[in-house]
Amino acid sequence: MKLAALMRKEFHRFFHDPRLIMTLLMPGLFIFLLYSVLGEVIHETEPAKYDYKVYLSGQSQIVSILENTVIGTGSSIEFLEVSSSEEAIDAVEKGEANAYLIFSENFDASFDAGATVDIYYTSSDVDEGTGESFYALANSVLQTCGMRFSIVPHSFLTQESLGKMIMKSVLPMLVVTFIFSACMSVTLESVAGEKERGTLTTILATSVRRSDIALGKILPLCCIASLGAASSFLGIAFSLPKMMGISFSVFFQSYGFVSYLLLFLSIMGLVPLIVSMISTVSAFSRSVKEASAFTSVVMILMMVLSLITSFVSNVGDWAVVVPVFNSVFVMEEILAGGAPVLLTLAAFGLNLVYSALLVLLISRMLSSEKIMFGK
Amino acid sequence: MSDINGLKEIVRAENLKKTFSISRKQRRIEKTDLTRKVAVNGLSFSAYGGEIYGLLGPNGAGKTTTLRMLSTLIKPDEGDAFVMGHSVCKEAARVRDCMGFMTGELKLEGFFTPDYLFDFFGAMHGVDKATLAARKKELFTRFGIDRFAEVRVADLSTGMAQKISLVVSIVHDPEVVIFDEPTNGLDVLTAKVVTDFLLELKAMGKSILLSTHIFSLVEKLCDRAGIIIDGRMIAEGTLEDLCGDLSLEEKFFEIYHGIKGDVL
Repeated sequence: MKLAALMRKEFHRFFHDPRLIMTLLMPGLFIFLLYSVLGEVIHETEPAKYDYKVYLSGQSQIVSILENTVIGTGSSIEFLEVSSSEEAIDAVEKGEANAYLIFSENFDASFDAGATVDIYYTSSDVDEGTGESFYALANSVLQTCGMRFSIVPHSFLTQESLGKMIMKSVLPMLVVTFIFSACMSVTLESVAGEKERGTLTTILATSVRRSDIALGKILPLCCIASLGAASSFLGIAFSLPKMMGISFSVFFQSYGFVSYLLLFLSIMGLVPLIVSMISTVSAFSRSVKEASAFTSVVMILMMVLSLITSFVSNVGDWAVVVPVFNSVFVMEEILAGGAPVLLTLAAFGLNLVYSALLVLLISRMLSSEKIMFGK
Repeated sequence: MSDINGLKEIVRAENLKKTFSISRKQRRIEKTDLTRKVAVNGLSFSAYGGEIYGLLGPNGAGKTTTLRMLSTLIKPDEGDAFVMGHSVCKEAARVRDCMGFMTGELKLEGFFTPDYLFDFFGAMHGVDKATLAARKKELFTRFGIDRFAEVRVADLSTGMAQKISLVVSIVHDPEVVIFDEPTNGLDVLTAKVVTDFLLELKAMGKSILLSTHIFSLVEKLCDRAGIIIDGRMIAEGTLEDLCGDLSLEEKFFEIYHGIKGDVL
């Protein structure tokens, strides 16, 4: 009986509070809306076009299918003559050609009798992804022809480019997650906690401006969260080489000073934005418990945004206007070996503008008796 | 601003009205279709410098809501109030500048010491350092806080914490002091310190507004009082004008039963 009463109280507390019920529904709704909108935009973006240079050995009717498919995507393909297999492989490794396609003898006639296709292709940092793009395209064409033969891929991925690939796909999400955690630990209760304890009303009863209260909370929280974020970043930077099994020197020499500077700017743009976002949620909430529930929804959104670039390759520069996503997008570019100075500065500046707008919103919320004193 | 008996009008409330929404469940209980409850309904009164004005009424009469409107924490739906000539609706920051507000709902962060909090709230009100130091010395000595100046508020007794809330609310030496139920939850010794201090403030020419449901407190402290029932000002004036030959308690219940019948 007592247990049942206790359980009923917990259920009652949750299911009789529309705000808490919203925290259950919001993640699904937001993910659906976000992915739908971004999906629309991404698929309206024109796909990247390549000029493939491919060595070809052996004959198959699949070659013409492949050629038509390449032309269908708006790209072009030039088949190069092979004088010797070693020479062709060497050219691919050096990036002078994007791939080397070898069909086994009597390929079309021996579909079910041990036919093989060997595909040599260059790593992404040698020819800006053309070799990998060709491999992906050729692989999909070969797959549509049935799996009655073997596809043997040969990539010239160096340890460095492998490291970069992993960094590019993993680090942005890790950085966002750790920054969010750092910001959440110091920001979550900043306004909601003071509301709950009644100490915020004491400050509101003084003549200090609401905008000063908002700024007076967010600026120090940004400094504290930056330290937390820096600590998380260093932790990631020093542990990733070990995780990937590559040496520190290879890892740190992969990127120059400019890359590190741009990476730093991307992170520093995220800190005030995330602090402001959590503070807004905290100001809106009536208690720390409620703030915590809402913040977990925001965290799911962050994760969703930071994962998009992992499985969508042709995101355009428009991504720079989407808060949080812009930093992930820029970080991915930097970690892939690029130096997108303008995009990084634009993302940094825009994130600061978004943060300022949120500070303004918090000031308005501090003036709202419904939000500050609503039960 | 109008003056009476040589006293300057410091606070003037004009037709203050405030409503709050009622939940569906509460509407069922009260058997009403109205979606809003009127907490304060056309309240008008004036308070003068050098006097203590008391708002007397039962729980839920609208006393606290009125004081919260005067202190600019919430906005009236209709009407306006003026503190030292500044509108609570249009010049909220100026009103807060010349007002000290103390209520049980205003809490101090237990992590900090009285010394730190006094300096912090002094800065919030823009008090300069020299004035702040002199005022701290005066008030801390007056209330016996000096011995506990560096002890965290969370480690102090309730009475001492209440005294700190009091001195913090008047750190900027305001012309108007508003107290919501000033002696609620205080032991007799601390309550005496607070009531004595209110009389001192009055002697200094400050205008003091307090809300209470304790008749003896009004009789002891207030020069004038207003009786509020259901958000309306039912009677107002000096205690002599209000009560005549009756005690305040007798007069209050005479008025109350006249309005609400025998319901208590």
